[in-house]
Amino acid sequence: MRRIDRILVIIISCFFCLSFCNDIVAQKTKIRGFVDVSAFFQDDKLNFGIGEYDLFITSELNDHISFLGETVFKYDPSSSTEFSVGVERVIINYNYKGNHSLLAGKHHTPINYWNDTYHHGRVFFPTIGRPLLFSAHIIPIHTTGLALQGLNLGKLKFGYNLMVGNGIGSNEITDNDKYKSITAAVHIKPLENLQIGASFYNDIISEGVELYGTVLDEQVNQQLYSGSVAYFGNRFEVLAEGTLVNNSTDSEGDVQSFASYLYAGVYIKEKWVPYFRLDYLNFQDGDPYLGNNDTSSIITGLRYEINYLMVIKLEYQYEDRDITGIENRISVQFAIGF
Amino acid sequence: MKLVFINLALVLSLFMNSFEDSFINTQETELTIVGNVKSVPTDMDLEQLKSVLKGERLRWDDGSKVVIALMKTDTPIGLTTSKRLFNMTGNQVNKHFLALVFQGKVKAPTFFDSADELEAFVAHTPGAIGVLRKVNDAQLNTILVVKSKSDQD
Repeated sequence: MRRIDRILVIIISCFFCLSFCNDIVAQKTKIRGFVDVSAFFQDDKLNFGIGEYDLFITSELNDHISFLGETVFKYDPSSSTEFSVGVERVIINYNYKGNHSLLAGKHHTPINYWNDTYHHGRVFFPTIGRPLLFSAHIIPIHTTGLALQGLNLGKLKFGYNLMVGNGIGSNEITDNDKYKSITAAVHIKPLENLQIGASFYNDIISEGVELYGTVLDEQVNQQLYSGSVAYFGNRFEVLAEGTLVNNSTDSEGDVQSFASYLYAGVYIKEKWVPYFRLDYLNFQDGDPYLGNNDTSSIITGLRYEINYLMVIKLEYQYEDRDITGIENRISVQFAIGF
Repeated sequence: MKLVFINLALVLSLFMNSFEDSFINTQETELTIVGNVKSVPTDMDLEQLKSVLKGERLRWDDGSKVVIALMKTDTPIGLTTSKRLFNMTGNQVNKHFLALVFQGKVKAPTFFDSADELEAFVAHTPGAIGVLRKVNDAQLNTILVVKSKSDQD
């Protein structure tokens, strides 16, 4: 066992031993869920569908330790039942002091605002779907490992996440190599409803790993640099994020891709929000696994918030991809929480 | 258990962002902040109070957990609390906390239908803080919430 692994094991053991010394309180467990139904019109055809069925559980185990679990059931044509189960988050949270916590388990990598805020709850999404940088595999959505987290510290309400995990190419049980992924994210909230954040992600992806249908024939050193600005006020909303990917290999050297999006919405009444989102993906030739499929997309939509548990969105999307060409789509989604 | 009560008599609309004015009732309302005597400080400024009630503080200075108790947002006092202290509608307050719980960043407040239930909960829960319209127990101490510098600017 390497030295850093031994240290991590000792730290985890100490924290959990200390936490169990506290008074045991009655367990408080809550189960919630999120799901959506949708329809879209594309290529002269109307289609109906259901979205991810998200089961969300929280439990307070004692005064310092809590559990959070998020499990998603979704359509999977390769499954005999046509559905698969995905464990999206399993987090044991040890709030060891003030607003500082140690988190262990499977996380949504706190690499950008969207991934760390909306998870699989479509009722929270400001648009029907995620920004395209998610489906383009720009960011590692999940990390299994340990994280130190601080929230709302000082006058600027500074927050941080420092995460070490198994890294890309691993599974939920073991790491596929000796390298650990590192995520370092910080943010501040200088004004009410405004959050500005930045993050850095570093990983070494081993030769032979299969990523999105491509088997890597050499090791990839990856760094991601992300920045975000989010303002969600009572009158208007703005969310802008960008990620620069640097994939480095012996044969190609540094290959850089960039992905970003800008969302903006305005409350014209308390419950009505017209909005738009612009997505832009730019890839450089020679990337070891990100296809060179430059994409731009424009979404315009209208959101009607019946209440905090029921939201209807109507959207038009124009998408232009270098490889697959132009697509137009009209979609409607009814998302609920329960 | 003896409670520490913090009286809050404010015209909160003075502190609201001008962008948000259309969502604010300008009527003056007296709110009473109640805290369990074990851990809740006896005074705090308005910004600190708002921050605590929004779930931005997880523990008090003595290390005990912050427990938020609120009237349901569809009750008159819940509605007033939402407008005055959260600068939100009741629906927005519910959304705010559901989102934070979903992010794993805070425990949801306990919501009550009656002021008596809320008062009893705060009295028996170390670290609990809540919002009421008036105090039923005449034995209780009262402290004014002070304006912070940023409120006066």
